[in-house]
Amino acid sequence: MSALKLKLRTAPSQRLDLSPLVPGKLAGLSTAEIERISIYAGPEGLTVGDCFSVSGTSGGALHIEGGSDKLDKVGAEHAGGEIIVDGDVGHYAGRRMKTGRLDIRGDAGECLASNLRGGIVIVTGSAGTHLGGPLAGEKDGLAGGTVVVMGGAGKLAGERMRRGTIVVKGRMGRNAGARMMGGTIVGEQGLSAGAGVQMRRGTLIGPSLEAPSATFVDCGTHDLLILTIMAAYWRKILGDLAPPAIALAPRRLMGDMSSLGKGEILLTEG
Amino acid sequence: MSEGNEKTAAATLNRNGIAIDDTFAEAFGMSGTGVIITADTAKWARQSAVTMTGFGTSVIGCGAECGIDYEVAPENTPDGRPGVRVLVFGFAPNMVEDQLKNRVGQCVLTSPGSACFNGLESSKRISLSGGPRFFGDGWQTARKLGDTRYWRVPVMDGEFVIEDKAGVTTDAVGGGNFLVIGKDRGGVLETCELAVAAIADVPDVITPFPGGIVRSGSKVGSKYGAPASTNEAFCPVLRGAVDSELGPDDKCVLEIVIDGLTSQAVGAAMRAGLKAVLEAGPQRGVTRVSAGNYGGNLGQHHYHLKDYLP
Repeated sequence: MSALKLKLRTAPSQRLDLSPLVPGKLAGLSTAEIERISIYAGPEGLTVGDCFSVSGTSGGALHIEGGSDKLDKVGAEHAGGEIIVDGDVGHYAGRRMKTGRLDIRGDAGECLASNLRGGIVIVTGSAGTHLGGPLAGEKDGLAGGTVVVMGGAGKLAGERMRRGTIVVKGRMGRNAGARMMGGTIVGEQGLSAGAGVQMRRGTLIGPSLEAPSATFVDCGTHDLLILTIMAAYWRKILGDLAPPAIALAPRRLMGDMSSLGKGEILLTEG
Repeated sequence: MSEGNEKTAAATLNRNGIAIDDTFAEAFGMSGTGVIITADTAKWARQSAVTMTGFGTSVIGCGAECGIDYEVAPENTPDGRPGVRVLVFGFAPNMVEDQLKNRVGQCVLTSPGSACFNGLESSKRISLSGGPRFFGDGWQTARKLGDTRYWRVPVMDGEFVIEDKAGVTTDAVGGGNFLVIGKDRGGVLETCELAVAAIADVPDVITPFPGGIVRSGSKVGSKYGAPASTNEAFCPVLRGAVDSELGPDDKCVLEIVIDGLTSQAVGAAMRAGLKAVLEAGPQRGVTRVSAGNYGGNLGQHHYHLKDYLP
């Protein structure tokens, strides 16, 4: 498949808003037209051509070579096709993305996949705080799609999440799934303190939970058929990145009883 | 169920000593859906399916025509357990939806270890969980994976998992049929059993009557006002008293009715069933094959027997 390549000329000194650079918005544009696209960069007006050397053809995948933690909103509102970033990205990567795939081969900043609607976001490094969370004043966090973070995630991953899946293969920060309303969060290395605080619905899965809250009640260990269905779905869309199958009946903690209380934390090591 | 027979049918073909009337089965457009029922074992998946499809012979009397299509291997079910595909047919999608609500709620939800999934991919969809999920009384929770939503309903042996929607088609066909006529009741029944077994290998069709076989072919109307009554022209015991369709040696007529998700599937089932009858019938006293119709004015689908012979 043809790809449009954007090669970072030098490490940016200011934050760059890359939200105009998604395959759907670039389709049909020539290299020259793409180079003239304005990038919001604070008081200083910059164009794509100022920051990147552009090659290849638009309409297919977008490949950003050279990352930086100052590249904000990479893949924001992405709606089909693939974006690959060879390196780190800044804040709000994948925000409100609808479909397609965003492959970040580095670390991601705060609010990765904020209010994600669909598609798949893969981060080979770690993610900052508020992974999948809402911005200030927004009602919902992650509302669909799937996020896999190979490293760790900061605090408040999945805050106010409504649908979709977040998989964190490294260490999960505090208060994951806070005020969650649906969807699934998997912390493969375990869940930190405050997991699921004030959650109404939804599922948190991990081998263990640090400092369980008294507002979650122990329902015992159970074979849950839905986990088989979820595992099959994840295998289908994520392949080798899917969370490992749950061998034993997990312990089910229901809560948060200080809220609606219809969420659950499933502890796979009993 | 056949309701009458074209009086002008004439036996113009003969295969293996069996006369084949030059007539046709008249069938109707219907709506149909498929669901996959799974359980811990194939035995319990089948038990649930058998219960759900009970009292599902005629859409007029039962509200729906239902049957088991085929067993589904664990590797092909959403939850990796043994499954059974059930088909449900009705006059319209909303009628099928109402039947699903009751049948799944009473017969699948209640069955130990069961789960229920969509068994028909279609752009038209009806509610599958619309009744059963409310059994959860507020404890039910939803899980959306991709475009598919599942409901988890707490029950006494764990959770009942049910998919939110099922596909429905309005291109389904109900009432494909043929009549097997012979001089030995046991032999005709045995032949029909073999035909039903052959039809069972055809996907997307069911034979909704008991064991796939009907002994009470009917005509439209009744002197008592009922919508259907016995088709005396095919009742051997009335042969001398009515304008009978039967010959002097005919002792038994059994009918096989076929519903399918597509007309092609019904045609394939007709072909498979007739082949079995023509192969197994001669040594079992079968003398003739016919089909039920209304003169061709009511049903949109006509299956001429001569077109479906092996």
